[in-house]
Amino acid sequence: MTHLLQENNITKGTLLPAIRQQKMIFVFLSFLVLLFFILDLFLGSVSLSAGEVIRALFSNTHGHLETIVYKFRLPKAITALIVGIGLSLSGLQMQTIFRNPMAGPDVLGITSGASLGVAFVILGFSVNISPDTLKGFGNWILVAASWTGAGTIMMVILFISTRIKDIMTILILGIMLSSGISALVILMQYFSSESLLKAYVIWTMGSLGNLTTEQLNVLVISVLAGILLSLASSKILNALLLGENYAGSIGLNVKFARIIIFSCTSILAGSVTAFCGPIGFIGIAVPHMARILFRTSDHKILIPGTILLGGAVMLVSDIISQLPGSEKVLPLNAVTSLIGIPVVIWVILRNRKYSGIY
Amino acid sequence: MLTIENLKIGYKTGGEEKVVLQDLNATALKGELIAIIGKNGAGKSTLLRTITGLQPSLLGKIYYEGKYILDYSRMELAQKVGYISTEIVRASNMSVYDLVALGRFPYTDWTGRINKENHLKIMDAIENSGMMSFCSRYISELSDGERQKAMIARILAQDTGLMVMDEPTAFLDIGSKYEILHLMHNLAKTAGKAIVFSTHDLHMAISQADKIWLLTDLKLMEGAPEDLMIQGDFDHIFDSSAVRYNSDHGTFTFKSDEKGSIYIEGEGILRYWTEKAVNRAGFDVSREKTDPSVIIPSGESKNWRLVIHDSISEYRSLYDLIGRLTVGDNGTI
Repeated sequence: MTHLLQENNITKGTLLPAIRQQKMIFVFLSFLVLLFFILDLFLGSVSLSAGEVIRALFSNTHGHLETIVYKFRLPKAITALIVGIGLSLSGLQMQTIFRNPMAGPDVLGITSGASLGVAFVILGFSVNISPDTLKGFGNWILVAASWTGAGTIMMVILFISTRIKDIMTILILGIMLSSGISALVILMQYFSSESLLKAYVIWTMGSLGNLTTEQLNVLVISVLAGILLSLASSKILNALLLGENYAGSIGLNVKFARIIIFSCTSILAGSVTAFCGPIGFIGIAVPHMARILFRTSDHKILIPGTILLGGAVMLVSDIISQLPGSEKVLPLNAVTSLIGIPVVIWVILRNRKYSGIY
Repeated sequence: MLTIENLKIGYKTGGEEKVVLQDLNATALKGELIAIIGKNGAGKSTLLRTITGLQPSLLGKIYYEGKYILDYSRMELAQKVGYISTEIVRASNMSVYDLVALGRFPYTDWTGRINKENHLKIMDAIENSGMMSFCSRYISELSDGERQKAMIARILAQDTGLMVMDEPTAFLDIGSKYEILHLMHNLAKTAGKAIVFSTHDLHMAISQADKIWLLTDLKLMEGAPEDLMIQGDFDHIFDSSAVRYNSDHGTFTFKSDEKGSIYIEGEGILRYWTEKAVNRAGFDVSREKTDPSVIIPSGESKNWRLVIHDSISEYRSLYDLIGRLTVGDNGTI
C-alpha cells in the first residue's frame, strides 16, 4: 500500500495534503485492527489476564488455558477479521456496480440467496448426506452452494436494475426477494427432519464461534481469494463509477467486468454467510465509513481502507457481543445492526435525493 | 477521420430488427465541428452510440482512419473515439482530477496506476478545458456547465481524434452554452479534433458547425448548414408537427399562427425589430403592398401606424400594435 501512495505523492502534486492525510489514516487503522485483534483475544466470557493469554500463546503445553486461547479465542478473532473484510468488500463492490449507496449483501437479498443455497445442502440434499459428511469436503459443497445462491440473486438484481433505474424500487424489490426466499426456506424446513432443522436454525442465528478448523480454512482461503480479486479489480471498479456506457466508451469490457465483480462479491458474501450465518449491516455501512474517512472515490484507496475498517468494525462487534466481564453473550446480529444502522441513516439523511452518495 | 458507409442502425430484439435509420453515408474530417440535427426520436443518440462502438450496427460499415471499426480492439477504439452522453456522472468524493484521470483508462496498466506521463496528459487536459482552478474540487459540487467542461477534459485526456457528444449544451444556461461551444470550436480548430455532436439548437448549429448531419425520414442528409438551407432541407424537419421552420428567416413559427402576410414601410433597426414582432405574431413580411400594412415610426411620428382600408390608427409600442393585429385575427379588421 505504501509504495502506491508514494507514487501518488510524486504525481498528484496538487493533492498532496489529502494524500498525506490518507496515509496517516491507513497507519491509524492498521494499528486499530491490531489493537482490536489483541483485545478480542484477551476479552471473553472466561476472564483471563493479559499475562495468561500471552503465556498460553507461546507455551507448548496443552492445558486448560491453551485450549481456550487456541481452540476458541484465536479462531474466533481470525473469523471476525475475515468476516468483517469479506462482507465490507462485497458491499463496496455492490455499491459501485449497482451505483446505489444502499446496496449491500443483506439489503438486496444476496445473503438470503446464500441462505437458500445453504438450506438446500443442509435440509434438502441431506437425504443422501448425513450431517457428519458436512466435514472436510462437505464444507466446500456448502460454500459452493452458498456462492451459487448469492450469484443467482446478483443476476436477478442486475436484470431488474437494467430495466428499473429507480433506487427505491430496486431496494423494495430486493426486500421482496429476500422475503420470498425466506418463505421458500421455511417451506423446506417444514418438510425436513428435526435434527437437520436444528442444525439449520442454529446456523441462521449468525455466529463467529462455531467454526471447525476445516471450516475456518475454507473460509480463509475463499475470502483471501476474494480479497486478491478485489485488489486486482480496482481499475475496473473505478471505471464503473462512470456508469456502464462511459465505462464501455473508455475501453472497459463491461460484460467481463460484471462477471469478475459478481463472482468476487458472491465468493465473499457467500463464504461468510455459509459458515457464520446472515450477518447484517456490516456490508452496507463499512464502505460508507471508508468513503467518509478517505474522502475519495478511488478504489485503489477505498479497497484497502474498507478491508482495514471492515476488520476493525467486526472485531469491535465481537468484543461487544462478548460483554467483557460478564458470562452472557449478545447475539452478534444485534450488535452489528446497532453499529451499522446509524451510519446508513446518516447516509440517507445527508443526501435524501440519493445523488452522488455511493 | 470517420467514414460511414450504407450504415443501418437500430435495435435487435430476438429475431426482429427495429430500424432507426438506414442507408447512412457521411464523413467527418479532422478539425470539423459537425452538428447532428433531428427531431426527438429521430435516432441521434442511437447514431452517436453506434459511431462510438457502444452498440452494433445492423448493416454497413464504419471506418476510423481508414480502418474498419470491428478490426479495432476495445482499448484501441477507446484511443480513437471519446464519448459524452447526456447521462450525468454521480459519484461521491470524486474529484475533477479523478474524473479526468479515468480518461487515461485505455493507456494505463491493469492496476490503473497513473505515472508521470499520464499525469501530465491529465493536467494538460484540465488546463485546456479551463478547469485548472477546479482540479481538486468534487464533481458533485460543480455547476452544470463546469461539470460538462470536466467531462470534456476527460475525453481530452483520453486523447482521441474523434469526439462524440450527445447534446453537450442541453440544460445549460446561455453563458455556459456558448462557453462550451467555444471550447468545442477551439478544440476542433486548434487541436484538430473531429467533433460530432447532437443538438436541438438549430441556430447554434447553423452558425457554428462546419457541417450538419440532418436526420429526417430514416435518412441522413449531409452538408454545410448554408447548403442545406439553400436546398430548403430544413423546411421539412418539422413538417409533421405543429411547428414550421422558415428558412428565409431562420425562425420557427407555429402552424396554427400563420395569418398571412403584411407589408412594412420603413428602414433600419426599427424595421428589423418590427419584422421580428410581426413574424412572431404569425405574419410573413410581404414585398408588395397589403391591406392591412404597417408604417414604422419615422421623422416627426414616434408611433407605429397601421393602415386598414385607408384608415390609419397609431400605436405607441410594438406591443400595442401586435395586440391589435392579433385581435384582428378574430375578424375585427
